[in-house]
Order: sequence, then structure tokens, then C-alpha cells
Amino acid sequence: MGNEVANDTARLAAFEARIARGEKIEPGDWMPDRYRKQLIRMISQHAHSEIVGMLPEGAWITRAPSLRRKMVLLAKVQDEAGHGQYLYHAAETLGATREEMLEALLDGRAKYASVFNYPTLTWADVAVIGWLVDGAAIKNQTMLAQCSYGPYSRAMVRICAEEGFHMKQGKEMCILYAQGTPEQKRMVQDAIERWWWPTLMMFGLPDDESTNSEILLRWGVKTKTNDTLRQEFVNEMVPQIQVLGLAIPDPDLYYDEASENWIYGEINWDEFWQVVKGDGPCNEERLGARRQAHEEGQWVREAVAAYAEKQISVQGEQGVPA
Amino acid sequence: MGAPDTQWPRYEVFQQTRPGGRYQNVGSVHAPDPEIALQNARDVFVRRPQTVSLWVVPAGEILARTREELEKDPSWRRPAPPPAGATEKVYHVFQKRSQRRSMGYVTHSGEVRAANRDQALLRAWEQFGEGPVFVWWIVPAGAITSSEEADVASMFQPAQDKSYRLPGVYHTRTLMREAKKQQEEDKA
Repeated sequence: MGNEVANDTARLAAFEARIARGEKIEPGDWMPDRYRKQLIRMISQHAHSEIVGMLPEGAWITRAPSLRRKMVLLAKVQDEAGHGQYLYHAAETLGATREEMLEALLDGRAKYASVFNYPTLTWADVAVIGWLVDGAAIKNQTMLAQCSYGPYSRAMVRICAEEGFHMKQGKEMCILYAQGTPEQKRMVQDAIERWWWPTLMMFGLPDDESTNSEILLRWGVKTKTNDTLRQEFVNEMVPQIQVLGLAIPDPDLYYDEASENWIYGEINWDEFWQVVKGDGPCNEERLGARRQAHEEGQWVREAVAAYAEKQISVQGEQGVPA
Repeated sequence: MGAPDTQWPRYEVFQQTRPGGRYQNVGSVHAPDPEIALQNARDVFVRRPQTVSLWVVPAGEILARTREELEKDPSWRRPAPPPAGATEKVYHVFQKRSQRRSMGYVTHSGEVRAANRDQALLRAWEQFGEGPVFVWWIVPAGAITSSEEADVASMFQPAQDKSYRLPGVYHTRTLMREAKKQQEEDKA
């Protein structure tokens, strides 16, 4: 027993030294159980967010205002499906299975980014989601690209490279609509008002309430705290939104010369918890859509499996090793 | 763990980004057979115009070892001798040699001939082991299913035309600069 504990202490020290040297931890390497569990939690939630994240915007594919905008939106939603796949793969390297993860999503146990439980009411929501929601996601993901766990870090590098266009297509539309007809300007203003606060909540709980932050920073999973990232995002976004003549729905927002920060008003964490716990405007609709897609795909999975079985038996008859 | 396998076996996916370039592992997909694994790999990893060929390999066929694993248990240096008359086969050797930021994992570094994977690992280490190697993968050549020349037009070419997937086609910087100028003029 004593030796076991001593071994674990030595292994932990070696693990932390590797992270301090900037080495990536790879599948097969020793890692503390808590590191593995925290990563499975984070990566699977992230994967679910990509998958559920297809739904709010996907609803507008058939109503895009032009063929070009339709192709752009289709490509973006396809990317999100792919990003979910990269992330499920990364979680699998830690011993989680797709069955478990999908089951947890479909039966409502798993969490995903609460921002996707808000409705998309007009086409301008597609523009604002691209600029604000994807912009916030990219900030978080750029930080996670430095993550000490190799598979998660690589998935993030690939996702960040691909998401550049998601943010820019949304930003382009926001700029054009802000300079467009009064109706277009009104639409984009309305969308910013509805998405601003849910976007700020995407960065997670304030640092003093975020229970996992300390260990995640220590083990190089994260390199910045929730509040730091949120502040960076606000500082980048506020001047740009204002240049377009659009208003930010925060009467308490002001620029603090001393810290050079845009200080934002209080975030409604009650609303955040309500949405996380399942009572957001669209939680049921989102999970319902995922369940329906899973059930309606059943015959495809069965057909593909039957085809594979047939191929194996045909090869067997021909004497070709299966 | 414990839930029934409805997702099929896992295939590791290797991507080549220019003709003659080294294949690199980019992740994995689930599929019931290699043909569908290639299709899935194409859908998941080829939405950008930089792929010219893909390999898929059943994950279970690959011998993967990190430097830490090799250091912990050096018995791999003395693999059991293969049975007399065992035929040698080709194994592809992949390595991770850098800790730099990357979207790919192990990269192809050569081939060895060996009677089995364990012997292939030892031979790979003898032949390609100079300098730091953080991860080794030994992939039996016979387990690889490759996309074919005839697949290029349908699998990889379409991504070339989708320029709207590239951030450079959105001129947000110019648009923002113009908006700023307009705002300053309005003020003045």
C-alpha cells in the first residue's frame, strides 16, 4: 500500500514535470484519474455542443436570402457536424465510448453549451451567431489549442482553422446589415440584443465559482480563466459593435481608463442555471430534434451493417481473407 | 463501456496533402467496413481543399507506443523470436517527433520488413530511432485501405471549388475600416 502511494506521488510529479516542459500527454501515457475524468467531461460536452449547435442555424438553411448565403450556411453546419466527430474521437482516446456519450446526450444527462437553447427568430440571428457566438467559441478554442492533452489540442487546432470563416461570414453580414436598409439595421440590432448576454455566459461561471478551474489550469488543460477570456472578448467586441452604430444591451457598460477594460454589467446567472438545467426556451426542441434524427437514421445504420455482413460472407466464399 | 456496440469498429485515418507527401494520422472514424470507413473519413476530414489521398486502417491492427510506455517496460527490446519459417511482411512506421502546435498526430517515416508487429517495432526503432521520438505507430501494410486515383475527382476535387469555406474570401477588415472612416466623417 505504502509503495502504491509513493508510486502515485512519483508518477504525478513526473506527469506535472512533463506538462511544465510543454510536452503533450498522449493516449497510453500515465495520467491522474481526475485529469482523465475532467477531460472526458469537457471534451464530450464540447462535442455535444457542436452537434446541437447545428440546429439553431440549420433551421434557416431553407430560408437563406440567396444561393451564396445558403451554400455558406450549409458548409458551416457541415463543419459543425465534423467538429463534433473530431471531438468524440478525442474523448474516445480516454476510454469513453460513443455509445455512452450519445446515450447521455439523447437521454438528457449530458450538458452542452446553453447558448444553443435560445431560438433563432430572424435571418439576422445567423449573422450574429457567426460573429458573436462563433467569435466567443474561437476565443475559448484558441486557448484550448494549447491544452496539455494531445488529442484535444489537435482537434482544437483543426477546429480553429476551420472556424475562421464561420466568424467572418457572420461579421460580414452584420456589417452589411448595419449599413443596409432601416429594416436590416433593426433586425441586426434586435439579434444583438437577444444574443449578447447568452454569448457572455458561454465563457462559464465567474472564476470564484468555477470549481474545476484551479486544477485545469495547473494541469495545462486551460491556460486562461473564464473571466479573463470573457473580458478579452468584451474588449474586442464592444468597439467594433459601436463603430457599426449598433447598441449593446447593457446600460452599465463603461470603459475603465485605469484597467483599459470595458466593464460589463451583472450577468444573470439565475437565467444561466435555468437554461443549463433544462428550462431554457428551446431545450426540449433541441433534444427532440436529436432523438428524431437518431431514430430516423436507424434504418441507414441497419442497412449499412447488413451490407458489411454480406461483403464479408461474399469474400469468405471467394476465399479472400475478410 | 458496457453499452452495446452500435457504432462499429474504429478506423484510424491518414491523410496525404500533396502527391508523394508523407501520410499523417488526423483522427478516426467508425464504420462497418473499410469502404465506408473511407467514405466517412472523406466526409469528416476533407471539407478543405488539401487532401489528395486517404488511408484507413482498423485501429486494432495498429501497434501504438509512447516514449513513456517504452521507457517503463523495456521488454519490447527482446521480442519473442518468430516461429521458424515465418514470412516477413511490410510494416509502415509512423512517428510523432515534435511537441509543436499541430492538427495532425504521427507522420509516416518509412517501412520495415518483419515477421510480426513486435519485431517490426524493434526494427523501426533501430532504423528510425535517432533523436527524440514521442510516439511510435506500427501499421501492417496489409491492413491499409487506400483511396484510389479514380476516387480523386469525386472525393477530393469538389473541396477545391468551395472557396467560401476559406476565411480569406470575407473582407471584414476592409469593411470594418470603411465603417470606422464613415463614423469619423459623420462625427466631423
